[in-house]
Amino acid sequence: MPVSPRAFAAASTARPLERASTDRASTALERCFHCGEAVPPAARWRLSLDGAQRTFCCAGCLGVAQTIRAAGLCDFYVQRTEHAATPSDEHDPWSQYDLVTTDGARGSGADDRREIYLLLEGIRCAACAWLVETYVRRLAGVVEFDINFATRRARLVWAVSQISLSSVLRAVVEIGYRAYPYDAQRREALARREGRKLLTRTAVALLAMMQVMMFSVPGYVSSDGVEPDYQRLLDWASLVLTLPVVLYCAMPFFSGALRDLRIRRLGMDVPVALGVGAAFVASAWATVAGSGAVYFDSATMFIALLLVARYVEFRARERAGAAIEALARERPHTAERFANYPASDRTECVAASRLTPGDVVQVSTGASIPADGEVLAGCSSVEEALLNGESWPRAKAPGCTVLAGSVNRESPLIVRVTAAGDSTAAAALSRLVARAAEARPRAARIADRAAAWFVAALLIFAAGAALAWWAIDPSRVLIVTFAVLVVSCPCALSLATPAALASAAGALGRRGILAVRPDALEALSRVTHLVIDKTGTLTSGAIRLMAVEATGSLDRDRALAIAAALERGSAHPIATAVRNAGGRAMSAGEVVAIQGQGVEGVVEGRRYRFGRPAWVGALHDAPLPVDAVADATAICVALGDSSGWLARFSFGEALREGAIELVAAARNTGIAVSLVSGDRLPVVEHAAQLAGIAQGVSDATPEVKRAFIAERQREGHVVAMIGDGINDAPSLAQADVSLALADASALTQWTADIVVVSEDLRDVGRALDGARRTFRVIRQNVAWALVYNLIAIPLAAAGYVHPLAAAVGMSVSSILVVANASRLARIGSDAARAASEPRRAVAERKAPEWKSSTC
Amino acid sequence: MEILYLLIPLSVVLAFVIGAAFWWAVSSGQFDDLEGPAHRILLDDDSGRDSRRTPPDGGD
Repeated sequence: MPVSPRAFAAASTARPLERASTDRASTALERCFHCGEAVPPAARWRLSLDGAQRTFCCAGCLGVAQTIRAAGLCDFYVQRTEHAATPSDEHDPWSQYDLVTTDGARGSGADDRREIYLLLEGIRCAACAWLVETYVRRLAGVVEFDINFATRRARLVWAVSQISLSSVLRAVVEIGYRAYPYDAQRREALARREGRKLLTRTAVALLAMMQVMMFSVPGYVSSDGVEPDYQRLLDWASLVLTLPVVLYCAMPFFSGALRDLRIRRLGMDVPVALGVGAAFVASAWATVAGSGAVYFDSATMFIALLLVARYVEFRARERAGAAIEALARERPHTAERFANYPASDRTECVAASRLTPGDVVQVSTGASIPADGEVLAGCSSVEEALLNGESWPRAKAPGCTVLAGSVNRESPLIVRVTAAGDSTAAAALSRLVARAAEARPRAARIADRAAAWFVAALLIFAAGAALAWWAIDPSRVLIVTFAVLVVSCPCALSLATPAALASAAGALGRRGILAVRPDALEALSRVTHLVIDKTGTLTSGAIRLMAVEATGSLDRDRALAIAAALERGSAHPIATAVRNAGGRAMSAGEVVAIQGQGVEGVVEGRRYRFGRPAWVGALHDAPLPVDAVADATAICVALGDSSGWLARFSFGEALREGAIELVAAARNTGIAVSLVSGDRLPVVEHAAQLAGIAQGVSDATPEVKRAFIAERQREGHVVAMIGDGINDAPSLAQADVSLALADASALTQWTADIVVVSEDLRDVGRALDGARRTFRVIRQNVAWALVYNLIAIPLAAAGYVHPLAAAVGMSVSSILVVANASRLARIGSDAARAASEPRRAVAERKAPEWKSSTC
Repeated sequence: MEILYLLIPLSVVLAFVIGAAFWWAVSSGQFDDLEGPAHRILLDDDSGRDSRRTPPDGGD
């Protein structure tokens, strides 16, 4: 597999190239310097590289090598561990991607910078990643380019004015790799392939483990030893079965160790590869030579159990990722667009990404909505589970907004597109999440570094133990060293943190809580003070009808119906609130709306006014009822006719769903809660009282809000801030961790650490709870890994641990850590919901909504 | 006990056969979705056959 020795041979022999083309037998063995394919007999593609003539199989490979040489990146050929992929000469498929990005939809900044995630094909080793990274970074116009070697994903930031996306993609092709704009389906295919490989490896190892164990049982149970002839037969059979385990199943560990050493890093694969390699070579030698102990059973069991642990981890990671991937994947690819709405019913099928705002599309029953938009016609219920974790469909009628990716359940809808493709809410969120996924949390980075030190210390310790046993009892050197290498569990140590983080991110993602910045969960787990913005966050921001009091000859329902009829055509917030409150269908005539006063109109032959009490009173000159003192926390509207007052309506802001529960949950866990608002004191006090918040500031400018948070931080609090509007941005930035709700402005979401996609504040409580549990699990995992290693390694070095027991102990420890982490996958699901349900019922009895007493 | 000279190699061969069979099963996608089929058996089409609204076309 390593290429360098052969490259060296080619350089030293300086074979006569003229003869090579005529001598078929010798050229048949010649391999392309770049991709390793056989060179055709009449090949003429040669290039002097690294001080020697190299032969290539095709013009493509030659071109790639020329490009690499011209860029001065020949180090690649020295460093690489695998041949490069053969470049193909298909026609230029890249320019289509320019369409995707030139419309500015993916803009990540104010200027002409664009950001995109690419999926790279052909990256086989760390040297490949280095080559592509270095080459692309040198292109003029490329601002940032980082490859994540593990996921094969790269983040590219470039300036559109200087370079087009297709030129970057073509540049990647020039050096023999391929890059595609990140596509969830393609990623899924890769993941499936990886999962299949891992499963096959695990199963083969388990099968071999069972069989080898059977062959070694006679040796363990018989008191006077197995007859030598039969023992040799058993050993040979074990060797045959262990061979595929070491060569095929353990390959990831060997190549991982090699990769780690090549980039001068110590990973957890190094001791595994060393232990397995040493045990296998020693046992194979003993089998062939016919004397000495064999450890095939320990080696196969070690690999099998380790693979089981990896498979469990892989599945947990996939499940966690799937929840987040769903955001991007569920957007449909095509849409039925009306060619000429409403003049004709003819629709055409277009790519969803080609829709533009203003287009009118038809969404049939059961289909996903292709873009964000507004319903023009049709009534249906739409499932937005993808976006807010709410599986109950929401009713949609003309005028309602629908979001891309939600599923139309009942009947066809006609939708006018307001945002399509990459500017939809779902796309913006999945981009935020993708950004978070690329960056590694601090906790995981620390764990990684700690694991590297641990491995270094372990290798030194194992060497020390080997030396010591060489002096005490040379026959036990191998068995003890193997036991030390195997029993130590750097896997548990380096899995402890990322496994828990991935599991928590997945579970929270399914509930619609997206940790957008990598360290957000850690900060959230330490929060001691929660600051909530009032308008739009604690309250829903919309005005709601609180009470109707009939004061004249009409009953309450009839008064409401008349008001609804008068307000039918109006877009005023009060009109919306009245219509939402219902009432029988009546029609009004001669309706006139007076700006700032109210509406006047004729319903069933009588003239009514609905609006400010003073203006309504002018119709009949009767004095206002005595108890109609204005309540500072509510808006008061009156209905009257020429004979007198008929009814009094009070409107107010309603608390957002889950507000009371959030405050109660925070208080239960010892988190202080305060309310900040730019509103007047009585309004803020009223809201605080309803939600159960004891402290806060009113009449606050953004600067005052920020100062309030800074003050709490000086007192030693870790502050979390929930906000929605642009005016909250300074306080969100000041807070240690900031949360934005789904209907917050895009800018607020961009600056927030955590985006809560649902409109339910209970989910903020879930996020708080989930973060705490995540870091409790991480602490448990790390503590377990440390205790286990501190006990097991000295025991193994002292010679008390049989390799078999070491293999079991190590694997069980890894599985334990992953299993503990996957408990987090249940955050916010049944258990947490069951816990919050009784509290919610109590809260609702106490204060069903934000009610104002009188007006 | 000479039979062991036959049985042990046979068990090794058998292990390889099982390994190959498993490899075939994995690569033909039988392990891709481990949860779906368990639900599908409860939700499959014969509920439609029993339903009153869509009577069976052949009758059963």
